[in-house]
Amino acid sequence: MTIEMKNISSVLIIGIAGGLAKITAGLLSKKYPELSITGVDSRPVKLEIQTENIKTVQMKYTRGNFERIFREKQFDAVLHLGRMSHADANPMGNLEKRLDLNVMGTKRIMDLALRFGVKKSIIVSTYHVYGALSDNPVFIDEEAPLRASIKYPELRDVVEMDLFSTNWMWKNQTDIETVVLRPCSIIGPNIRNSMCLYLTSPYAPIGADFNPMFQFIHEYDMASVVIRSLEKVPTGIYNVAPNEVISIKEARKVIGQPSIPVPLLFLEQTVKLLNFPFWKFPRYLLDYIKFACIIDNKGIDPYLGEDFYRFTTKEALELLKLE
Amino acid sequence: MFEFLSEKLQVKPPKEEIDKIFEHLQTIYPAGEDPWGLSLKKARKNMEMIWPFYRNYFKVRVFGQENVGDEPYLVTSNHSGQIAIDGMLICIAFSLEVKPARILRPMVERFVTGLPFFGTWASEGGAVLGDRQNCINLLEAKQSVLVFPEGVRGVAKNTADFYKLQKFTRGFFRIALSTGTKILPIAVVGAEEFYPFVYHPRKIARFLGLPALPLTPLLVPLPSPVDIIIGKPYEAPSELTPESSDAEIDIHIKAIEAEVKRLTEEGLKNRRSFWANVKKEDKK
Repeated sequence: MTIEMKNISSVLIIGIAGGLAKITAGLLSKKYPELSITGVDSRPVKLEIQTENIKTVQMKYTRGNFERIFREKQFDAVLHLGRMSHADANPMGNLEKRLDLNVMGTKRIMDLALRFGVKKSIIVSTYHVYGALSDNPVFIDEEAPLRASIKYPELRDVVEMDLFSTNWMWKNQTDIETVVLRPCSIIGPNIRNSMCLYLTSPYAPIGADFNPMFQFIHEYDMASVVIRSLEKVPTGIYNVAPNEVISIKEARKVIGQPSIPVPLLFLEQTVKLLNFPFWKFPRYLLDYIKFACIIDNKGIDPYLGEDFYRFTTKEALELLKLE
Repeated sequence: MFEFLSEKLQVKPPKEEIDKIFEHLQTIYPAGEDPWGLSLKKARKNMEMIWPFYRNYFKVRVFGQENVGDEPYLVTSNHSGQIAIDGMLICIAFSLEVKPARILRPMVERFVTGLPFFGTWASEGGAVLGDRQNCINLLEAKQSVLVFPEGVRGVAKNTADFYKLQKFTRGFFRIALSTGTKILPIAVVGAEEFYPFVYHPRKIARFLGLPALPLTPLLVPLPSPVDIIIGKPYEAPSELTPESSDAEIDIHIKAIEAEVKRLTEEGLKNRRSFWANVKKEDKK
């Protein structure tokens, strides 16, 4: 039995400067006008839509002030949407910073949530944790091993954050209800993750030798999934993806950006040799445009119901053109 | 001129027939793609490319089409011919000559999906990773899957072992049990003679870490006529579960093995003559 929304009056959103968090906050505030929403981010926050029940604060999660917010606001739910992405990664992948924010930051947030009696928490991880490997079965379920960092240690933070969250979730399941979401590639005009940047950049290299399948979820739909998870989804790990799939070449065709076909095998070696990404895409994510990582959505689907997703894959991709 | 020659040599695929097949396939895969990497457009191109070889080089004949219904099957075949040409021909046969037409999904070795160009070419044509969970997911999605339960032992044989069926592994039967899928035994006759002189140095292959290392003086397969014989579907008894003991399921695996053997022998009796398949005693 999950916590009912009528018992939730105050929500904390971590990473409110991010596109997904902003949309989630907006939708949540519209659906529940009585709810008090507090958004925190270490980056400067600028909300396009100002509503009375959303307050934002810029601060680091490691500071004492962060604890004070928990004490003062008495949150009933925490939405952790603040995972640092790989979009601005330099060749070394700023791993240290990501490890600190994603793993240590998550630990601090969750520990505070437990200490101050938060009833429900949602943590947004990523499908990257499964790794893009040539021997991935199609439809990877939530019990599959997390193999992302086998080949690329730069992805350690992604795996460690997920493992920490899930361990923490099971350990404290009697005290706090936690939902860990592993969404497929989230795309939308407000999202600036690596995949969005890759899809929308003109003349990006595209594999002449590989053409993996992809699942894409629109930012609005993902925000709706986060809210539904808060409302209805019980403790557990859930993959989030629509039923549709599309190959990377088709996806770029839909967006209409010109691509340069390059054998990825050659590109990978060149990037390694030069140790310099000549287009904004971290080299340790190259395998994700080489091998498919298709996740199984059977776990969360019963909680979403039929026709939950508002945008088809094609529509979501077409909306990227509006940027 | 080209048109005239291609018609005379029958290298041009029958457009109308293929159009009809793909119209039907479009209803199964409305997006033109599927999660396993299939691309209908590419599958059609592959088929049109392979068709002249299928029809005029290997002169494929299919028997027993009436045994195939409108349901998914775990198609179980003998494996021969050193490289997976037999699998390719079976897949074309199931699209062209079996009603309703379907894209049969051959399970390929793990290393294939990681190969640049070839791996993608194979996936876009319908091939899928040879993984148990992957196979279960495909069958649950109502796809017919092609497996070679002899494994690599079946394909990498010395000339002296041609048409000797190797022992079937159990995995395919447990997959059929867990999905409630019928097994469709088939036999391919003629593929062994693609490369009639083969030596397979097993120890060197093992030393090099390769699944097989067939050595043959021929670069291209010989135009051996191929017959594909489809048997009757085999349904596992309902009291068996995927967790049943080896002893319980071995009886059924032996029965399927025997059926594939019978179909092979039947095919060998009726096959067309070709210089590489004429037996010594026949020559006398």
